[in-house]
Parts: sequence; structure tokens; C-alpha cells
Amino acid sequence: MKINKLLMGAVISAGVFSGGIASATDLNFWSWRQEDIKAYEEIIAAFEETHPDIHVTYTAHEATNYNTILTTALAGGAGPDIIHTRSYGSLEQVAAAGYLEPLNDQVDLSTLSADELLGTTLRADGKVYAVPFASQTVLLYVNKDLFDANKVAIPTTWNEFIAASEALKAAGVTPLANGSAAGWTMEIMSGAFMPNFYGKEFFGDVTSGKTDFEDARFVEALEKFSVVKDYMPDGFEGVDYATMQQLFIAGQAAMFVGGSWELPGFTKAGINFDIMPVPSAAGSGMVATFLDGGYGVNAASENKEAALEFIRFTATQPFAQMLTDKLGNVAAVDGAVSSDPMLKKVAGFHNNATPYIMLVAFRFDTPTGSTLLQNGLQELFTGKKTAAEVAKDISDGIKAAE
Amino acid sequence: MSLASDHDIDLIYQKSLRKRKNMRRLWLAFLLLPPILMLLIFVFLPMASAVLYSVYDWKGLVRGEFIGLGNYYDVLFKPRESWFLFNAFKNNVVVFISLMIVQNGLALVLALLLARKPAGYRFYQVVIFLPVILSTVIIGFQWKLFLNPIFGLVNKFLRMVDLDMWALPWLGLPETALGSMILVNTWHWVGFPTLVFLAAIHRIPKDLIEAARLDGANEWRIARDIIWPLMAPAVTIIVVLTFIGSFNWFEIPFIMGSLEGSPAYSTDTLGLLFYRTAFGSVSAGGSNFGAGSALAVLIFIFIFTFSIIVTKYLTSREIEMG
Amino acid sequence: MAHIQINNLHKQFGDVKVIRDVNLTIDDNEFVVFVGPSGCGKSTLLRLISGLEDLSSGHIKIDGERIDHLPPSKRGIAMVFQSYALYPHMSVYQNMSYALRVAKESKASIDKKVKQAAEVLQLTELLDRKPKALSGGQRQRVAIGRAIVRDPKLFLFDEPLSNLDAKLRVQMRIELTKLHKKLNATMIYVTHDQVEAMTMADKIVVIRDGIIEQVGAPLELYNHPANQFVAGFIGSPSMNFIDVKVIGKSDASLELELKNKTNIHIPCAEVDLHAIGDKMQIGIRPEKLILDEACDAMQDGEVFAVERLGNETYIYMHTATNNEIVLHAAGDKPVTEGDHISVGFKVADCHLFASNGEVVK
Repeated sequence: MKINKLLMGAVISAGVFSGGIASATDLNFWSWRQEDIKAYEEIIAAFEETHPDIHVTYTAHEATNYNTILTTALAGGAGPDIIHTRSYGSLEQVAAAGYLEPLNDQVDLSTLSADELLGTTLRADGKVYAVPFASQTVLLYVNKDLFDANKVAIPTTWNEFIAASEALKAAGVTPLANGSAAGWTMEIMSGAFMPNFYGKEFFGDVTSGKTDFEDARFVEALEKFSVVKDYMPDGFEGVDYATMQQLFIAGQAAMFVGGSWELPGFTKAGINFDIMPVPSAAGSGMVATFLDGGYGVNAASENKEAALEFIRFTATQPFAQMLTDKLGNVAAVDGAVSSDPMLKKVAGFHNNATPYIMLVAFRFDTPTGSTLLQNGLQELFTGKKTAAEVAKDISDGIKAAE
Repeated sequence: MSLASDHDIDLIYQKSLRKRKNMRRLWLAFLLLPPILMLLIFVFLPMASAVLYSVYDWKGLVRGEFIGLGNYYDVLFKPRESWFLFNAFKNNVVVFISLMIVQNGLALVLALLLARKPAGYRFYQVVIFLPVILSTVIIGFQWKLFLNPIFGLVNKFLRMVDLDMWALPWLGLPETALGSMILVNTWHWVGFPTLVFLAAIHRIPKDLIEAARLDGANEWRIARDIIWPLMAPAVTIIVVLTFIGSFNWFEIPFIMGSLEGSPAYSTDTLGLLFYRTAFGSVSAGGSNFGAGSALAVLIFIFIFTFSIIVTKYLTSREIEMG
Repeated sequence: MAHIQINNLHKQFGDVKVIRDVNLTIDDNEFVVFVGPSGCGKSTLLRLISGLEDLSSGHIKIDGERIDHLPPSKRGIAMVFQSYALYPHMSVYQNMSYALRVAKESKASIDKKVKQAAEVLQLTELLDRKPKALSGGQRQRVAIGRAIVRDPKLFLFDEPLSNLDAKLRVQMRIELTKLHKKLNATMIYVTHDQVEAMTMADKIVVIRDGIIEQVGAPLELYNHPANQFVAGFIGSPSMNFIDVKVIGKSDASLELELKNKTNIHIPCAEVDLHAIGDKMQIGIRPEKLILDEACDAMQDGEVFAVERLGNETYIYMHTATNNEIVLHAAGDKPVTEGDHISVGFKVADCHLFASNGEVVK
């Protein structure tokens, strides 16, 4: 009896829903940004106001498994209409398989820079498959209160950074919150520290094949970077992402290396912090930047035109402004002005930036540069291998990649 | 006087017999069909498709051309891939041997103790079995917190009892990560073999143990000479299940380490290797269904063959009681 | 070859008293049978002697030395279990030699003892077999063999024949008796089967509710039961009991009235202990009842069952006063169901029990 009633209820409600949808085009929009659900729903509402015939449903999947979920669904013909894509290698995997609609002639991409478009362009055909949405910046967070309380000046050069770290350590404060338990946080950290040591030209040299990762600049950068482990928490080998965030938020550690995506969280936590590039020997250091992802259209979508309409919307200034205001992102599309001083600062750092090396250039083949670097750094920081050995492993791995 | 002739009765009897037989067949079919269908859909079909996938070249998610055993050659013999395969396999072997000794050894000791029905043994029985019913995800996450080098209970406790030297970042060091996970697995699962062993011990007639006691055997001799050989069927089950479990080990290293067997592949297993090869990951790169399928087929063949050999061998030393 | 002395033995499981103040002496080379209804405590008493159960209070001595604090293996005893308790994973040889191996005897000595015992029990051909491949009787012999090789001072048997079929049981009974003679050992044998008790025992110990009711040689118990329980328990079919009332006393006899108003005089040593009007029971064995012949007392009744075995006949009847009576007669008697017959007995053959069960005569 009960089952019958339930079934009947289901049938009736299904009828009601399908009846309601029949008048509008229903679009599914998949993403990995679970923390942004509210903001995206607001943005979608703004879009639907001008497009009453289109209804967009935003679904956020678990971040670390998003690629797998997405590709599996696409392979099974069950993908969404609008796809929040990742960039570079991850984009290529989806685009190369033909799951994405090329956008070049269908969407006005003039508001985007060539650097940003590179992240959503398939290397094989040179076509753009997604509208870049935001760039991320790897940088250093400092807890101003902790520095003040321990009478340590915020460092402006590499030597000052070391001295400040020593002073904080002597005062019983963990200088740097980061740990090595999660490989990807190690890669992030290397993105903040290593470019200052290997220099601005290294990225161009290594991507063009002029040199490889056994280059003395890279080995030296690894060595200098590994000094930082003295300033990481006791037992940093077991400190994962959640723990390091907690250490910084709780005021147990004075500095934190992370991405610009941490800004909203730390702001909300009420920490009196500042952001800066890791200082170089001479002074102002470089930050590493990368395109976070983009918005693409499922090539097999039955509502391609409606989906493209939404994608065109994402390439406009109003969308970029909402992205900036609601999500605190550094929007890829030009013309958005941030009222947030921190975001303004981030944008300023882009004047002295270098691509986040492994993601931007070496995540297209297996083994990826990221995998090699992450595990190499874990080996370096846990003392299993020397800088030279790690550099050789990375170099060999990249060369063997296909 | 008789209402039906013998012939009539024979006919009626045969008819009812036929009907009963048909009913029986129908009933059997009804009971067998669902499991057979489940087996077909969820075991044979995926197996067959894995074999099929493994002989093609895959470009991401698109099936390329037939390449025969190419994928198998790649995962087995290409230097980097074979290093991964061997490293993961080695870890699985370590896990199996450790679980056999630590988890099942502990279970045997616990079962022998509980079988003597010490005061409150029912309470202990429940306590030991309780973790088994918890989900692996919860346990992995919980223990990851317990083992946190800074906030974790384990290191807090060690520092409290002045064992600061031992307050290590257990999951962060290549030397201790796998061992820690094996211990967590033991904590999670030890109740299961304990219960199986306990049931096996309870099945041994009390007379046999008393006879051995009268024959002069002490507790150790009784355990070794009488209880151990007579619980052989339970040991077979546990060894085979531990073997299969060890070589399919995935959840604990995935949750407590990472898809890459963090730190530095020291907790990598065949399961993790298969998953990231087949499906890829954010940092490890794209998916390769071909190589992944080849790995899956190899893992399956290995587990299947060895399970059969182990079962055959262990069953041969079982004795029927009475 | 042991003399066993049990003093004031008590055993309690929680609040349940299973053995109550047992005192017993067993002589060297004696074959003693503990008999009693199930749950009477006879097996517990055996297990207390073996050491498999701890006593609550009292002493057990073998050859004058207390053994009740020793572990089972140190008491110099061997036990044969009802289930035989053969180790299923060991061959007959391994089963029989296990105790010796545990005791770390030399291989040669073990081999000699096992072969010897196997010879005695005709197990030589079966030494390599597993228990599973043996018949019930063979398993029984292996169990005994396992006891023999240890050369114990005392053998304990816990209902060892109850799992065998009737024919084999008779055979094993004789074999065990022979074995007892051959081994010259003290044996304690527990059974609920009074035929086994009667046929095998030198001495029977009748136990009820954890108390020893009577100790004695089989025929002594049969002919002179100490109380109504023993009288009823020993002998098959059971003794007949007939309700009577004391209606008169003389110097050395009581005048009793049966329910059918027949009066009889039964000699009694201590007439003063009984009063006129006391209710008593006369006990008379089935074979002492006499059919259709003038006797000291007669009972009329209707036959409701007859068992004819050719050489003997059992007649079951209801008396007019509603007692059930069994009569055992030699040969074939021409009696059938529904017949009205009259049976009687002689005063000399009857037992008299007071209302508390104690024997009067």
C-alpha cells in the first residue's frame, strides 16, 4: 500500500515537473566549485532575467573526482549542457575527445588576453573550447597581528624572510603553516618559492626545449627551496591542506603559502592578514599564475544554442564583474573592477608573474610534470632524495612522457 | 466400497508428483535467477568489457585502434610503468603479510582469550566487533585526524606520556605511512576474523579439549595441537579473504594518503595505480582506459589464480569433525 | 592400582548444589559403577575426581595423597568420554600416543606402549586410520587404548557405551570386564543403565540429587535395598509397590492392611518406631509375584498388556485397588489381555518401606 502511494506520488510530481519544464529550455551546468553554489545561483538568476526562456541548473561535484565524474558521464552520453572545464591538460583531455564545442566563431572572445586563452585552447587544432573564467595566483599570506605581537618586521627580501622566520621560531611561533602530506600543496608552495630562484627565463627555456629540468637553475632552486622545511610545522610531513589552513586561521602559524582562492576564506575567518609575493634576494619577487578553467559547451548537447547563449554571457563584462564581486575571483574577462583591496593587489602582482610551470606546460601527457614534481618534493622534504636526484627524476619523467 | 480404483489413485499420485516437481523447478529458477543476473551484469559484463578495452589504444575517452597486448606490454615492461606496478605490488604484498601477522594473529589471540569466557567477554566481543560495522570512509577520516601530527590524539597522548620522540607525522613519512594504515586497517577489521575464529573454536567439542587436558597438554599445547588444526576451515576463509582484501586494498590508502600513494608512492597499491591510470586525476593527468583495463585484468587474474591455489592448498589440510 | 578416598565432597554451580557431602571409599582394583537417573550428579562426581571440575569443598585422596588440588594430568588418571573425544585430525596411532608425546617420552618407548595396547584391543590393523574411518566399536576401543597407554592408576569411564547399538553394547560390556581383570586397575564407571551396573560392577554407588543413596555389591543392592529409591532403581522391570496401612502391632511384627482389605503380618525389628495408622509401601520384585496360587497375600486385577518372550513372560495388570503391577514368570503363560487374574506373594519375599522411603524390612 505504502509503496503504491509513494509510486503514485512520484508519478504525479514527475508529471508536474515535466509540465513546468516544457515551456523553457532546461540546461544542466556542472562544476567542481561546491563552495560557490550560492554565488552561481545568483549569477544564473541574473542571466535568466534577460533570458526567461532558458533555465539553468547548477550542480557542483566533489572537486578531486570532478574530472573522472565528468569524463565518465561524457563517455556515457550523459554529460551536462554547460561544462565548467578545468584548464590546460585537463581541458585537453575533454576537448581532444571531441566532447566540447569549438567556440572561435560562435562567441566573441575579444575581451580575453592571449595568455588566458592559452589555457582553454587545444594545442592540436588551435581552437578555443571554453571561455576562461578566472586566473589564480600563488602567493604568500602573512598574519600581520602575529608579526606585530612578536615584534618581527614583515620581510621584504629573501634574507629578511629567513631572519623573520628564525625570529618567529625562536618566539615559539611556527613561521610557515604549510605541510607536505598532500602533494598538491607542495606544488603550490614550490610555485611561490622556486620562480625567484630559477628566474624569469627558465619557463621559456624549458618549454621551448632549450634546457631540461636538470638545468643548474632548477636544481639550485630546489635546494634553496628545501631550506624552508626548517620553518614548517613540527611533523610537517603529516600536515595536510585542512591542517595548514587551520594552523594559519587559528594564529598558530605566521605565514601561509596558497592561492588567491584562499582570500574569501581567510577574510571570512577574520584574520588580519596581508598578501605578497615571496620576496626574492633583490626585493620584490614573482608570483606564479595560471588560468583556473573555463566554461564550455557539450558538443552533444541537445540545447546547444541555448547553452552557447549562456557561454556568450560568461564572456561579457557584467558577468566578470559578478564573478569579481560575488566570488572574489580575478576574472579573466577584461573590464571588471574590484572594490576589494586584496583583489586589486593580486591584479597588481600580475605585472611580475611567471606561469605556474607544471600546470601550464606539463600537464598534457603522463606522467605529468605535476605528479613528478609533487612526489619529488615529498622525497626532497622527507630526506629520501637530494635536489639533484629529484631534478633528474623529473627530467627523465618529462622526457619519457607521451 | 472403494471410491477410486488403484489405477485412478496412481494417476492422481503421478499428477501431483509432476506438479510438485514443476513447482520445485519454478521455485529454484525463481531463487537462482536474480543472483545469476546480478553475476552476469555486475561481474561478467564488466570483466568482459575490461578485457575488450584492454586490447585497444585509447585517446582519452575515445577508443582507438586494436593493439593486441600492447597495453599489457606497457604496464608490465615500460620502465616507469613497471616500476609503479612493482612498487604497488610490493606494497600489497607487505599489506597482506602484515595483516596476516598483525590483524589475523591478534584476532587469533583475542579469539582464544574470548573462548575462555573471561568476565565480561560479551562486552569485549561487542567492542572488538564494533569498528567492523563502521564505514571505511569514516574510519579512514577519523584516524587521519587522530594521526594528525599537530592536533591528533595519538601524538598528544605520546607527548603527554613524555614520548615526544615517538610523536611522528605518522602519515607523512614514507617509513611510517604504510605501517600506520595497516594498523588502522587492523583496528577496523580485527573483529571480523576474531568472530570467525571464535565461532570455529566454539564448534570444537568441549570433550576434545578436556581429553587433551587430561592427556597433559597445557594451554599452549591445546591451542597448537587441538584448536589450531580443528579451526582450519575458518583459517582458510580468513586467509583467502585477507588475500583478496589486501590485493584490492583501496579505501584506506585513498582516504588517508592520496590517489598517488602519498608520501612519495610509499602507500601506493594496485588499486590506486589502477584507478589513476584508468581515470586519471587532477595532477596525475588524463585517463587511459586501455592501460587501466590491462591493469585490472592482470590484477584480477593474479587474485583469482592465487585465491584458488591458496584455497586448494588450505582446504587439503582441513579435517571433518566427528 | 589405587585406593581412593573421598571425604565430605561438595560441589556447587552458583546456587545449585550438585554434589552434597559425598563420602566414598574405593578399594584397589575395584570396578565401581556410579549409577543414578540423569542429572543426579554422577558425571559431576566423576569430573571432580578427574579434575576437569573444581570441587567446592572436601578432599579426594588417591593412595592416601590428596589430589584434589592437582591439575587433571597430574592425578594419574585416564578418562574415556561418552563421545570418545578422539582427536579427529590424528590417526589412531597419534591419538593413542598423544599423552606420551606431550610427556616427551622417547619414540621407542611410545611405540612399544602403543603397539602393546593396540595388540590388547585388536587395533593393530587400524593404527594409520583416522577416527572418521572407524566404526563405533572401533572408536570406543581407540578411546580405551588412549587411556591404557598412559598406564594410569585409575580409569574413569563416562557412559562409554551409550552411543553403541544393543548388540555391541553387550559385547563391549564383556570386553571391558575382561580388560579390568587383565589390567588389574581401579576403574570408575558412570552409567544410567542399571543393567551395565549390575553386570560389570564389583561395587555399585547409587546416586540421587547429589547424595549417595547406597553403596554395595550388585546383588546386595538388589536383595537388600536401603530405601525405596534404590529398590525401584535397581532391577528391571522395577520393583512393584503396594500401598498398605499399619493396623496393628505385636512384639516383632506389624499388621498391615492392603487396600483390598487383605491383612498380613510382616516381621519388624523396631515396632516402636511405627504407629497404628502409618502409611507404608510393600515392595515386591516382579519375579517374586506368584500367579494363581495360594499365598500370604492376594491381589485381583485385570491384565492390560502381556509381553511374551518365549522363555519368559511379563504380565502387566491393574489391581482392583488401582495399583499397577508387573509380574515376571518363567516360560510361556496362557494369559491374554483383559483376563482377570489373581496374583500373590510370600511375606518372606517382600520389602517394606516407611512413608519416608527408608526400609523397614
